[in-house]
Amino acid sequence: MRDIFYIFRKEFYDVFREPGVRAFFILLTLGYPIIYTYIYSNEVVRDVPVAVVDHSGTPLSREFLQMWDAAAGAEVAVYCASLEEAKVCMDRKEVYGILEIPADFSKNINRGVQAHVALYCNMGALLNYKALAQAASDVSLAMGKEIQMKRLDYASWIEQEIAVSPVKIAEVKLFNPQGGFTSFIMPAVLILVIQQSLLLGVATLAGIRRDRYGKMIPRNRHYRQAWKIVLGKAVLYLPVYLVMGYWVLFIVPRFFSLTQIAGKAELMLFLFPFLLACAFMALAASFLSKGREYPFLLFVFTSVPLMFISGISWPKEGIAWYWVAFSKVFPSTHGIDGFVKMNNMGATLKDVLPEYASLWILAVIYFVLACFLYRREMKFSV
Amino acid sequence: MEIFKRVIDVMKREFCRLATKRIYWFILVFAPVFCFVFFADLLKEGLPMHLPVAVVDEDNTALSRQLYRSLDAIPQTEVVLRTADFTEARKAMQQGKIYGIFHIPVDFRREVSAGKEPMISFYTNDTYLLPASLAYKDMRLQAVLANGAVQQALMLAKGEGGAQLQARLMPVTVDINPLNNPWISYAIYLASVLMPAFVFMFAMFTAVYSIVQEIKDNTTEEWLKESNNSVAVALAGKLLPQTLIFLVVGLLYLSVLYGYMHFPLNSGFFPMFLSMVLLVLAAQGFALFVFGIIPCGRIALSVCALWGVLSFSVSGFTYPATSMPWLVQWVCHLFPLRHYYLLYVDQALNGVAMIYSWQSYLALGMFAVLPLLILPKLNRDLKKNRYLP
Repeated sequence: MRDIFYIFRKEFYDVFREPGVRAFFILLTLGYPIIYTYIYSNEVVRDVPVAVVDHSGTPLSREFLQMWDAAAGAEVAVYCASLEEAKVCMDRKEVYGILEIPADFSKNINRGVQAHVALYCNMGALLNYKALAQAASDVSLAMGKEIQMKRLDYASWIEQEIAVSPVKIAEVKLFNPQGGFTSFIMPAVLILVIQQSLLLGVATLAGIRRDRYGKMIPRNRHYRQAWKIVLGKAVLYLPVYLVMGYWVLFIVPRFFSLTQIAGKAELMLFLFPFLLACAFMALAASFLSKGREYPFLLFVFTSVPLMFISGISWPKEGIAWYWVAFSKVFPSTHGIDGFVKMNNMGATLKDVLPEYASLWILAVIYFVLACFLYRREMKFSV
Repeated sequence: MEIFKRVIDVMKREFCRLATKRIYWFILVFAPVFCFVFFADLLKEGLPMHLPVAVVDEDNTALSRQLYRSLDAIPQTEVVLRTADFTEARKAMQQGKIYGIFHIPVDFRREVSAGKEPMISFYTNDTYLLPASLAYKDMRLQAVLANGAVQQALMLAKGEGGAQLQARLMPVTVDINPLNNPWISYAIYLASVLMPAFVFMFAMFTAVYSIVQEIKDNTTEEWLKESNNSVAVALAGKLLPQTLIFLVVGLLYLSVLYGYMHFPLNSGFFPMFLSMVLLVLAAQGFALFVFGIIPCGRIALSVCALWGVLSFSVSGFTYPATSMPWLVQWVCHLFPLRHYYLLYVDQALNGVAMIYSWQSYLALGMFAVLPLLILPKLNRDLKKNRYLP
């Protein structure tokens, strides 16, 4: 017990004396969620600029354009005389779409023939395309309904309504009602920040020790048993990260009004094995760090693939089984899964039992691995 | 001529240094190849298929079953759960097993016939934005089709039909033409920027780390001596071998993206090759510039790491930069990857004339020559620098 406490105290000094480690543990965890949320704070794409080529030039086509301009996703930025002119605007990136209304637009409508409007989308950013496609479908449905009702002038208003739309449609976006980007990506980023900053910080500590003393373990009678070393260190990281975790998972989402429907106590209960697994994984992985610059070279890039195999950016159904199996090795995969389900979708701890159990199993595996690596290190250094 | 010989000598020395340390093999070869195998394999389908959804059918008539079957027939969605109990479907959604619920109410068929406007509702789980938006699209289409099918039945009963039926149901349609990506494939735009983003990140790290290594090993003097005490020669000799290696990696990326995966390359090879060359040079120029300003390896590496990771967001290939807060819209120009992304959209995707992309080419070029500004300072720092562990 005394040994563990000694190691804990030693680690405490190391963590808070080293500016590099402090930066990872505190600065990164404090700042990164804020920067990220700020970048995506507009949540959705609105008013994508579009060039209009109106060959028809009739009241009907102008009405169509007014509705188009009023749609949330699109905005008429410029009127062009020809498709060529509009294309130049697109090449100059002044607009991201071209709407072309044919010369026979109102003639067709009045004759009772289907009128076609062409929309050309720049596919550079898919969310721009999505906004325009949504606007196109909304406007054509709304205008179509209006035209249909005008034709039924013999009927009463209610009869018109029913004839035009015999079935009502309601769409409900659950758990992220505005379909926002922040509410979708932030939960995953928040969990990933915790794991990666811990990993980088612990690996930097290991790198510093190797740079200065050439080995990971000080020659000291307190450092004789591997499990005590691992526990002593983890016992420090845990409270630090419970505080940082509170900031990342409770205060930042509150600050930016993100979805938060999980019970605090339950979420903390879930966080506990996640932090344990992260801490032990960091301790085991820190053996790869042969110098204080190594963590940058080894671990920074892993955030992006980890984000993708967690099932948030890319649906799990589209991921090959071997990558899914690979993803189970990392606490972040289970952490993100469980956190999103609890925090955003109102699942209880009971609903996320598989993730919860996996985190405990990972914690045990990484604890054993870290102990094994420390024991090997001791044998070599003696 | 003397200078060239010097540079080549330093380059030879650098190649030896790169080849003899394992960490360089990791960051020059293993990590880039891993990233690229990973993403090429992950995104090879382009669009995720068979997204699980549930149908809550409280009506259970021929009409509702027909709706269910046609939803199931769309290849992108797969009805994994058909139930009459909404709670069951909601629970499956909360466990992450399905992305959407299509709800057909009790007495749907009867109310349609009676003209009582029954309500079809569909729910999507937008915590998973991409699958939810795909499921949304299919379910909305299905609901609109349901409307059309009922209307069609009514009109046929009234004796209207034939060619005018279509125009009656949808008097105005918008034909959407997704230019140069008619499959609306997510892989095309994700992979085309993700992979170069890793080249960018690793090129920055290697540039800084290789200089830090000299200081750490106390070999700065030897290195500068080899280059006749000229910092320009020393740095050129140090960075050129890395440039060459990253160019090979970059070319591998380009050939896999456009040769093997057949992503659109409407500009021809040269404009994208030029973009890749400039991206690698910009990465090294930026890294050197940061190191020149803060001649402390770990802080310079931190800045590069921050730049590399933020690049993935602010370059705007997932969420368009034009919809970000104005401050970010301005700051994003300081990230070389943003310019590479614009070049990719202009050139590879849309194949516009290169003249329209001159700003982005110029911007990348400017990143590449940034270190010239601080060469004298670098000179002073390198000569007196000592490594503090």
